[in-house]
Amino acid sequence: MIGSAHRPFAVWLGGSAALFVTAAIVLPFIGPSRIDLAGVWHGQEPDWSILTRLRVSRTLLGLCAGGALALAGSLFQSMLRDALATPYTLGVSTGASLGAVLAIAAGLHTTMGVTGVWAGALAGAALVLLLVMGAARKDRQVSVSGLLLAGIAINSVCGALILLVHGLTGVSQSFAISRWLIGSLDAIEFPTLTAYMALVAAVSVITIRRARQWNLLAVGEAWAATRGAPVTQSLVAGYVAGSLLAATTVALAGPIGFVGLVVPHLLRARVGGDDRLVMPCAFLVGGVLLASCDALGRVLLAPAEVPAGAITAFIGAPHLIWVVRKGTTR
Amino acid sequence: MSEPIVSVRDVGWRAGAVTVLERVGFDVAPGEFVAMMGRNGTGKSTLLDIIGGLRTPTAGVVALDGRPLQEWTSADRARVVAHLPQTLRADLTMRAEALVLMGRYAHASQWFESADDREIAHAAMRRCDCFQYRDRALGTLSGGERQRVLLAACLAQRPRVLLLDEPTTFLDVDQQLHCFTVLRDEAKQGTACLAVTHDMNLALTFCTRLLVLAEHSLAHDVRADAALAEPAWLRVFSDRLRVDRGANAAAWVRYQ
Repeated sequence: MIGSAHRPFAVWLGGSAALFVTAAIVLPFIGPSRIDLAGVWHGQEPDWSILTRLRVSRTLLGLCAGGALALAGSLFQSMLRDALATPYTLGVSTGASLGAVLAIAAGLHTTMGVTGVWAGALAGAALVLLLVMGAARKDRQVSVSGLLLAGIAINSVCGALILLVHGLTGVSQSFAISRWLIGSLDAIEFPTLTAYMALVAAVSVITIRRARQWNLLAVGEAWAATRGAPVTQSLVAGYVAGSLLAATTVALAGPIGFVGLVVPHLLRARVGGDDRLVMPCAFLVGGVLLASCDALGRVLLAPAEVPAGAITAFIGAPHLIWVVRKGTTR
Repeated sequence: MSEPIVSVRDVGWRAGAVTVLERVGFDVAPGEFVAMMGRNGTGKSTLLDIIGGLRTPTAGVVALDGRPLQEWTSADRARVVAHLPQTLRADLTMRAEALVLMGRYAHASQWFESADDREIAHAAMRRCDCFQYRDRALGTLSGGERQRVLLAACLAQRPRVLLLDEPTTFLDVDQQLHCFTVLRDEAKQGTACLAVTHDMNLALTFCTRLLVLAEHSLAHDVRADAALAEPAWLRVFSDRLRVDRGANAAAWVRYQ
């Protein structure tokens, strides 16, 4: 039963979920080549293969990646009490980017079903995760300022290394690196997609279940501690969860920007600051936004494709300016 | 006197080469309303943070209900002790009611607070004269209005020990009196209240006991009704203070 106090929750969650499902059904049909419904129904080629192998996989990846980034963004914004925090603030995704860029520069290819870029990205993320964790711990405690300091420092080191590697590689690799750094969605094999979606779903559920702790931390660490939240444990859990979401997404789609920044802001302005509502809605709306940007990118300059990361940046940057000018903080 | 609920034993706190507190010791019993006083930088807030479990003392032990503080989990501790911070970030977008409901965190195990939790939060807001702000975003409240919401959040926690770091900051005079009246009522119902304050007359009018910190340690521990007879504690603060008999026979401090 839903009490009157929870009615806005039901309306917003229901609305976002409906939008998510609609996007999942409609978006696969959008693209440069029109898909004939009757053809799909009878399993005719190429319509059947384009839809199932390319468009459905890409739409699911977009929904999941956008959701993961928006959730990680709202998590870091609450946890770090920083309105401009993104999934990339604490360095792990930049570590993933560095790993991927090194893999591209070294010309690593698929070995045993794992592409070099994914392997590089995940290895880079894991390394940075351990480094930041080690640097942020002090007297067996972890604080927000410690995490921010360690994360931002290692983030900028990774960023500098990316530029360095980029500058030292040959022309063709350099082009591939620039292309990858914009971030875009591509159809991927279903086993990889399934593994990714299962991981994102599990981490998201764990993250959203702790929403009351993120609410407390958004007010302050001392506030959270004296209301009864285990602060160090929450910060470590939040850091690892947000990093898993962001790093696996970066490994598959590149560092797509602005979804993680814009979506939580849009929602907070409308539904208020309660992460119990903001977080699930951010996941659903973020997924819809990225998958829609990707669909738009397929048709905008067809037959050329505009990478989803470029479109989210075009939408995201003006929104960011609007947020700052309006003085909406948190 | 009943069993102490808070006992502070030989507590010290140093940050690097700087000694803030050294060998501080006292007990607080249920029902006491203690004013923690002292000049700037004497470690009042630090001591309050140590009792609230926010800092680990570098020497000595603080016990709650006779059990050392480090043996308590944060959730168990929060069901006994509430702490009112000196400041809170001013740009929060959440509603005032949501902040007060956070006081129920350690009591409510479900995802949503229950109707009882809501009832307790509303009652606390009415007592602190801030129920009318329940739907306002915290960032839109004035400093004094926000301070009342914070106190309501602490009361909603239903603590047995209430630690208050300058609870009257930003409050107008009427609200200062209201705040100390609420705290005195809490103490009469058995809560141990410790408030850091610089207002001696508020302390002398409402509190039962004054703890005066000076030179890293506890310099004076006087009952409020003996403060007139033993005015030595006053010299810690300034030479320009005199203590007289006030209207209701309580001591009253004058400026010169």
